[in-house]
Parts: sequence; C-alpha cells; structure tokens
Amino acid sequence: MHERFPGLARRLPWLVLALLAAFPLFAPAFGLEYYVGFVRRVLIVAIAATSLNFILGYGGMAALGHAGFIGVGAYTVVALVEAGFSSAWLAWGGAAAVAGLAAAAIGAVSLRTRGVYFIMITLAFAQMLYYLAVSLRTWGGDDGYGIYTPLEMGVWLDGAHAQVFYWVVLAIAALVFALFSRVAHSRYGQALRGIRDNETRMVALGYPVYRLKLAGFVAAGAVAGLAGGLLASHNAFVSPGMMHWTQSALLLVMVMLGGLGRRWGAPLGVALWLTLEEALKMHTDYWHWPLGVLLLLVVFHAPQGVAALLERRAGKEAAR
Amino acid sequence: MSLFRAEGLVKRFGGLLATDHVDLAVEAGEIHALIGPNGAGKSTLVNLISGLLPADAGRIVLDGIELTALAPHQRSRHGLARCFQITSVFRNDSVRDNLLLAVQAHAGSSFRCLARRDAEHALQQRAEALAQRVGLTEVLERNAGTLAHGVQKRLDVALALASQPKLLLLDEPMAGMGPEDSQQMIELIRSLRRETAILLIEHDMDAVFQLADRISVLVYGKVLTSGDAAHVKGHPEVQSVYLGTEAAA
Repeated sequence: MHERFPGLARRLPWLVLALLAAFPLFAPAFGLEYYVGFVRRVLIVAIAATSLNFILGYGGMAALGHAGFIGVGAYTVVALVEAGFSSAWLAWGGAAAVAGLAAAAIGAVSLRTRGVYFIMITLAFAQMLYYLAVSLRTWGGDDGYGIYTPLEMGVWLDGAHAQVFYWVVLAIAALVFALFSRVAHSRYGQALRGIRDNETRMVALGYPVYRLKLAGFVAAGAVAGLAGGLLASHNAFVSPGMMHWTQSALLLVMVMLGGLGRRWGAPLGVALWLTLEEALKMHTDYWHWPLGVLLLLVVFHAPQGVAALLERRAGKEAAR
Repeated sequence: MSLFRAEGLVKRFGGLLATDHVDLAVEAGEIHALIGPNGAGKSTLVNLISGLLPADAGRIVLDGIELTALAPHQRSRHGLARCFQITSVFRNDSVRDNLLLAVQAHAGSSFRCLARRDAEHALQQRAEALAQRVGLTEVLERNAGTLAHGVQKRLDVALALASQPKLLLLDEPMAGMGPEDSQQMIELIRSLRRETAILLIEHDMDAVFQLADRISVLVYGKVLTSGDAAHVKGHPEVQSVYLGTEAAA
C-alpha cells in the first residue's frame, strides 16, 4: 500500500477524521440520526481503549482494572455536578486529574509486582472502587446517578449545533490518538517498549524502570478518567456497573481484537466490537455468542489482531 | 586505592551461603578474572555487584562512590555496566534500535515524550560509533534475534559499553562459542581495557590466562586465593579443587 499509493498511509488518518466530522451533517439525510450517538460512544470508548493499548501494548502492563479509572472519572463528574458546578470543561478536566491521582496511588503499589500478580492487584483495586461506588448513597449507590441538566461547554458552543458534543468528543479522541501515536516514537515510547521486551536489561542499562512505568500508568489512568467523564455526559447517567471488572475485561478484549501495541489497534477493535454488537442486537437476543465465535476466529487466524492483519495485507500488496 | 572494592559481601538463599564474605578489588585499567567450578557462586556475585540481587551484608565502592544502597539502574549511572551470561538483547528490534536504546539511557532524559527519537542526530551517531567499535556496522539494520550467537554476544557487550562504564562486568562472554568467535571476543575484550576496568567471569581457561592481569578463585562462595596467572596455576588448593583430577591423581 505504501508503495502503490504513496502518501495514502499518511493521508488515511485525515480521511477518517474528515468522514467522522462530516457524519452528523449527512446522517439526517439517510435517516441515521440515531447512529450519531452511537459513533460518539464508539469514540469515547476508543479514547479509553487507546490509553489501555498504550500501557498494555507498548508498556507490557497487563492492567485488568482500567474500567476503574473510567469510573473514577465519571464519578468525579457526578461529584462536581452534585456540588453545583456546571462547566463541562471543569468536569472533564477534573475527571482526568482525579483519575490520574487514583492511577498514581494504585500504580505506585501495583507496579511493584509483575505478571499474574499485577493483573490480580489491578483487578482488586478496581473492584474496591466498584464497591466504594455501590456504597456511596449520596451519589446514587447501586441505582446510579442521573445527570439531568447537561453540562455547559460555553455559551458559544452550546448554541451552535445540536451535535456539538459529538464534534467535541471527536476532537478530543483525535487529539488523544495523535498524542499517543507521537509518544510511541519518542524517547519515552522507545524506553517503554524496551521495558516490555526485556525489563532486566533495561534496569542494567540504567533506566529508572519503575518511574517510567508509573508515568505511563498515570497518563493512561488520566486519559481513561477523561473518557469516563465524557461517558458520564454521553449517558447523562453514571452507575457502579461501568467500573465492574467485566468492563475492564471487555476493554481488554476489544484492544486485543484490534491489535495489541498497534497504532490502530484500539480504535479498530472498539469500532468493530461495538458495531457488531449493535448489528447483532437488532437480529437476536443471543448476540454474545456470535461475538464469541468471532473472537475465536481472531485468536486462531489473526492472533495479533485485525490491525496486524491489515498491515500484513498492505505489506503483501506492496511486495507484489 | 582501588577503582572498585567489594568488602564482606554476603548472600544467603535460605540455608545456603551462596556468597561468603567476599572481598574483591579491581584496579583501574585491569582485567580481573573470576573463576571457579559450577555452583561456586560466580553469577550470584555478579548479581550482587550489579544490584539485581540485594546483598545481605557488605559494601560496594566504585571510584570513591558507595553503591551499596543504590538501585541497579543508579549503579549503572555511576559507571557500573554488565553483560549477561544468557545473552540479553532486544531480540525483536534491529541492532540499530538496540544501540539507540542503550545510548539514550545515558544521554538526556527518557521522559521526553513528543519529539521523534529516531530523528536525534547525536544519538544516531553515537549508536553507529558503538556499532563500529564492536564490529556490528554491517548488521545495523538486521533484527537482533536473527543474528548468530557470537554476534549477539558482541551486541550484548556493546549495550553495556554505551554507558561508558568505569567497570564492566562480563558474565561468561565466551559461553557457548566456537573457537573462532571466542578468539574475536578475546580480541574485543583486550581492546576494551583501554576504556574500562573489567571483571571477567569465565570458564574458558585459555581466555582467562590470555586476558587476566589478576585471577580470583571462587569456591563455595568464598575467595580461595587471588593473584596472577602463575600464582593461581601453581596454587595447590586451586589445582585440587578447580583443575581437579590431575593433582588428585
């Protein structure tokens, strides 16, 4: 692909961005208004998945508690709404900051362990957050918390268009994606990959491995929190269910489906999974099991994910 | 005063005293070889010095700086570098990327996260110089995992050299090598002594006697004796314990 269509690989992200940006404008003409909200959800989940792909795919940190940070972000929005704040930017920024702090505390402990222990301890922390949310009656406890007045994004933005929130989400998603893609090729990204591949050697080379991992874990936690804040606005509702460990696992599955440690892995995986889920739900109540079959197919035929499959296909065409 | 001193190093694994009050000194510009039969505790000692294992007692000083309480990556920053008995490189990356990663660790912060690393001219130059230093220029773009064993071993040494160490720990650099590769490695190590002092752990006696200024013999975690090649060869206890059967017969 790179050879036959020079520049296409470089232009592809912009093309995707342009199509996504134009989608709310032509959706009504095709009777697809409902799907504007759906794509918005895909984008928000993709933000969270991109951050998970960063620490897991590039950093080798198999965190099974990422939904915990999404939840911390969402409940930060709840806390700010409950306290009477109505600025969306404050709420989302706060969501990222508080989730980043939570990630710093949890990471400082968890990153002293490796392998299965790390998986278990991140899972345990996320479940603690889940039960904390269940027990907090002021924020709805088990029943969840409805956000009845939408947060304000500023006078100019709020009145501009019915779908302005969609574009804001798209802009944030694009920014997050571009940022992580860039970091992957920086000194920091290279060091993180080195730690994933050979931690002992990195220590012997003089890298402060623990601090490097913690920095990545905090950044990923903050971005997941931001996604949680956006999700709270998107659903106008927050419940403990969004940080249940099955949500963490689902996020993991989506990233692996798309391609672990691949640039396009997270957004591809999320888009594919949620689209199939949506499509299957229209035809059957038993939508879980075709998705299970798909997962098996991917495991056997594209163990490195769909993104890797596409990259290989593109490489083959270039060779021909 | 010696460039490097280890004093009274002790390491216990349960009831096993793997390192038994070891004193060791390496002078500047010296190749100090550490020999001993299998299970004598040579690799344990290397891990204690490099900090991958915490010592139960004793102290380590390099160039006047006490390293005992420092983490392994901090020891590396103070001039202590090591290679691994089982070759430890980044197998899925090119030789160039391996070297860049090693060079990057000692040239500026690795928390820089926006600029492209590969566009840093100074890093590339240092990586290429390093490749030339150990004879890897021809294979710069090859994946490290696809290289022959001897070549990977040279890459392992190059990774350690990137920090411009004061003391280099080589843990059996000739292990598993044919005679030709061994000879190349011996030449490389000999040429390194101008840049760094070396603590060499090695089974290959030929190599040790060719290279070492001083030899210490480790048996059951203890230093049996220390001296030049003639002294060690002539030492009766070394003959019986290490060189074995001939003396016993």
